[in-house]
Amino acid sequence: MTASLLRETSTATTTPVLDVRDLSITVGDGAAEAVRSVSFRIERGETVGLVGESGSGKTLTCRTALGILAPGCTVTGGTLAVDGADVRTVSRRDWRSLRGRHVGAVFQDPGSYLNPSIPVGRQVREAIRAVSDLSRRQARERAIELLALVGMREPEHVYRQLPGELSGGMLQRVLVAIAICGDPNLLVADEATTALDVTVQAEILELIKSLRDSRGLSVLFVSHDLAVVAELCDRVVVFYAGEIVETGPTREVLENPQHPYTRAMMRVASLGDYTRRELDVIPGAPPAVGAALPGCRFAARCEFAQAACSQAPVQLTPHGAGEVRCRRADELVLAATAPERRSA
Amino acid sequence: MAIGVLTLDGAGTGIDWRSGRAARYLRALGRGVGIFVPVILLSTFITYGLGALSDTNPAAAVLGETATPADIARMNHTFGLDRPFLSQYVHWLGRALHGDLGRSYFTQIPVSTSIAQRLPIDLSLALVAIVFAALIGGGLGVLAATHPGTWIDRTVTAICAVFMSLPAFVIGIVLVVAFATTLRIFPSAGYVPFSLDTGQWFLHILLPAFALSLETAMSIARQLRTSLVRELAQNYVVGAEVRGLRPARVMTVHVLRNAAGPALTVLGASIPVMIGGAVVTETVFSLPGLGQLAVSSAEQRDIPVVQGVLIVTSALVILANLVVNISLGKLRPGRTR
Amino acid sequence: MSRRSLLRGTLRGVTPKIAALILVTVLVLVVFGGTIAPQDPLHQDVAHLLQGPSGRHWFGTDYLGRDVFSRLLAGSRLSVVTALEAVAVALVLGAVPALAGGVLGRVYDFVANRVADAVMTLPTLVFAIALIAVLGNRLTPVMLAMGFLMSPQFFRVTRAATVTLSGEQYVEAAELFGVSRSRTLLVHIAPKVLPTIVVTAATATATALLTVSSLMFLGIGVVPPAPTWGGVLSSDLNYLSQTPWAPLFPAAFIMLTAGSLNILADAARDAGRGGRVLVPAVPALATDPDDLEEAAHDRISVA
Repeated sequence: MTASLLRETSTATTTPVLDVRDLSITVGDGAAEAVRSVSFRIERGETVGLVGESGSGKTLTCRTALGILAPGCTVTGGTLAVDGADVRTVSRRDWRSLRGRHVGAVFQDPGSYLNPSIPVGRQVREAIRAVSDLSRRQARERAIELLALVGMREPEHVYRQLPGELSGGMLQRVLVAIAICGDPNLLVADEATTALDVTVQAEILELIKSLRDSRGLSVLFVSHDLAVVAELCDRVVVFYAGEIVETGPTREVLENPQHPYTRAMMRVASLGDYTRRELDVIPGAPPAVGAALPGCRFAARCEFAQAACSQAPVQLTPHGAGEVRCRRADELVLAATAPERRSA
Repeated sequence: MAIGVLTLDGAGTGIDWRSGRAARYLRALGRGVGIFVPVILLSTFITYGLGALSDTNPAAAVLGETATPADIARMNHTFGLDRPFLSQYVHWLGRALHGDLGRSYFTQIPVSTSIAQRLPIDLSLALVAIVFAALIGGGLGVLAATHPGTWIDRTVTAICAVFMSLPAFVIGIVLVVAFATTLRIFPSAGYVPFSLDTGQWFLHILLPAFALSLETAMSIARQLRTSLVRELAQNYVVGAEVRGLRPARVMTVHVLRNAAGPALTVLGASIPVMIGGAVVTETVFSLPGLGQLAVSSAEQRDIPVVQGVLIVTSALVILANLVVNISLGKLRPGRTR
Repeated sequence: MSRRSLLRGTLRGVTPKIAALILVTVLVLVVFGGTIAPQDPLHQDVAHLLQGPSGRHWFGTDYLGRDVFSRLLAGSRLSVVTALEAVAVALVLGAVPALAGGVLGRVYDFVANRVADAVMTLPTLVFAIALIAVLGNRLTPVMLAMGFLMSPQFFRVTRAATVTLSGEQYVEAAELFGVSRSRTLLVHIAPKVLPTIVVTAATATATALLTVSSLMFLGIGVVPPAPTWGGVLSSDLNYLSQTPWAPLFPAAFIMLTAGSLNILADAARDAGRGGRVLVPAVPALATDPDDLEEAAHDRISVA
């Protein structure tokens, strides 16, 4: 498996970095289908944003790409391929060659993803040695280089510090350093900037952007902060209740949303508070995870819903430069104010 | 103290005495000393005070029934018994620190000699028992924590419940019956010094050490399981996995390091129990150790010997706890201030 | 968490119920042991020495021809009551100073902790033997000494619980209202510490029982021919070759009693987890109050 993996990636100018097709995931030991037939792709060098509320399935999707689905969650349909390798057929040993070398990850609350008792530099060095054959001394040098690369002003000093002694922003930089040390093609960022304050957020975004530009890194950026997504991502994929309801180039989707849910989200965002967490201005609540509904899953809260919307499943259809899952997409002319670009 | 050892990263960096790791260690050491010294003093004081409870007059005991009051007074003076209590204690402590623990009331053999003869036995017993406890407890704990909720987990829990409720000597008796008397694999009695014949030493010490270790092993297993389950749920485990680290490495270098603390604490707390339990185990296996010495001396009311045994065993306990505390400090540097 | 729901939670499941049943039986034996024994525990039937279990002697006879079953029943009182007394002593000696520490300040705290540390370093059995050397082979001083040596456990546990509870907001609020420190202690903290103490008492009794059995095995504190569980084991050891199964019976009594106590203590701890029954680990020589608090938050079991 590993050999074929390498072969695939060496010819991978056309293989998408992430290829998700009809992915379905159940949670609670099969009790509920939390992700339904989700499909999207990330090509080399692209940055794709996954947006949606908690429970919409975006986190489950990105965890599948990393092979860290919680116990009780299973992929029940479709495929998800990282650099060509289908995760459903990847063994535990193969995951070790995938992780770090093909895909890296950063998360919310970066400090909690580091061992609190070991200096951060050693953890970077450890990650380097896991993906290369460098000696301890060489790996240490490389680790310091990486720390400098991600913007640490005193990498040698930071190397020796424990996670508890660093700020949130610095910790996230450390996680980024670890994530890219194996030179992966894909960086998964799950709410990576959510817990950071605004100036630090901007810095981390700049960091990700510069890495993207200098290394051709593709980024899967999960967030419910639309402004951040607007700034970073080429394309955006909107999740609702386990399904994709809209995709398209970021600017298009945010300035000219085609799905009522996206439109509602934009309306909330454009009220001026981009860091608002709850989208509870939309009346009602999303369906329970895995609830089986005969028709559109947003119909109950949709201001444009008709009786027919709830009768038959709605397909995701191409629409303009992207896709949308709405019966009435062509009829409705939905315009919304674009979120203002924040100054860094 | 080898400060250089603290910077394990290949290239040495300058030693910053005032802040940083050197200062952290010095502060921890200072705190440790500040705590252990009073403890040692209090412990020895209690031990010495025990002797004062006696209604036996040592002088009379040594001199016998024919002693005249003058003889007794002279003896008292020799023993230093006519001085105030605190002064007696200080002198006794001073002598003890030099290795002089007095002489047996009856045989006049220096207590330190008798103890030194028998100490290796108990040390062997205790050390091997500690190793067994750590291995068995550690192994069971890891096993249960990595298969939570399964029959493996439930079996381990049941085993722990059973063996925690059995005193060491009962286990010892069962082992003697099973392995020594019936199956004749191991010897049932006696001791062979390590220096004489390592193989025989191990054979003789195996059963008693195993019996001694079980109760502690079970406590350790339970504690480790709880800590491991908690650590395994932490985000940094996911972080480590996501980096491509080998699962074995994640478990040993990261998880166990953080989970071991409370288990190590349990081990430390069990050391007095084990040292005390060694006494009884000696009886079951006929090992000529400190326990036998203490019991026979106690029957004869030979106080200096018994005090000597007590102070030596307490000192061992304190020493062991010091080691445990230092290890805890090294395991979790983030938690020392 | 109310007492009743704690009780109910503790007894959930088959195992705790069985354990409780066993303990109730033991209690009955303790009270009535001597009287319900089928035969006189002291009567020596020299015609039937070292017999196996039979219709007449359910557990067989010992080396003096005495009925083992009756001896074990009668021995319950001495073994169990001694253990309980020791725990009672330990509880008072340990919990009271710990609660007092809530009002008396840092110096007292430091000294009390060092005393607890020092006492914990004294190995119980060796100390008991030393005590015998000094005072002669009497049970009462040994029992008191055991209580004294076990008190640091209660001290630690109570202190950890007190420290944590003192940090609770309603306590701080009470103080801000001008309630005196000692009243806060009595009214708010002490009742909440009680469940913790009870759970610790259960495990301590189990440990004490094991220690008492060990002591009696060594012949300490007993006056023959009064039967005790440990004493029966001791005589069994001498005749192991002839009756190798004999130790099973006294061992079973000890194990069932101690095991039931541990099981109930565990169940109570788990049930209390929903509420705030804190039973922290007993650190070896704990130094930091932070460590204790941490241990309290961990809600780890007492060994």
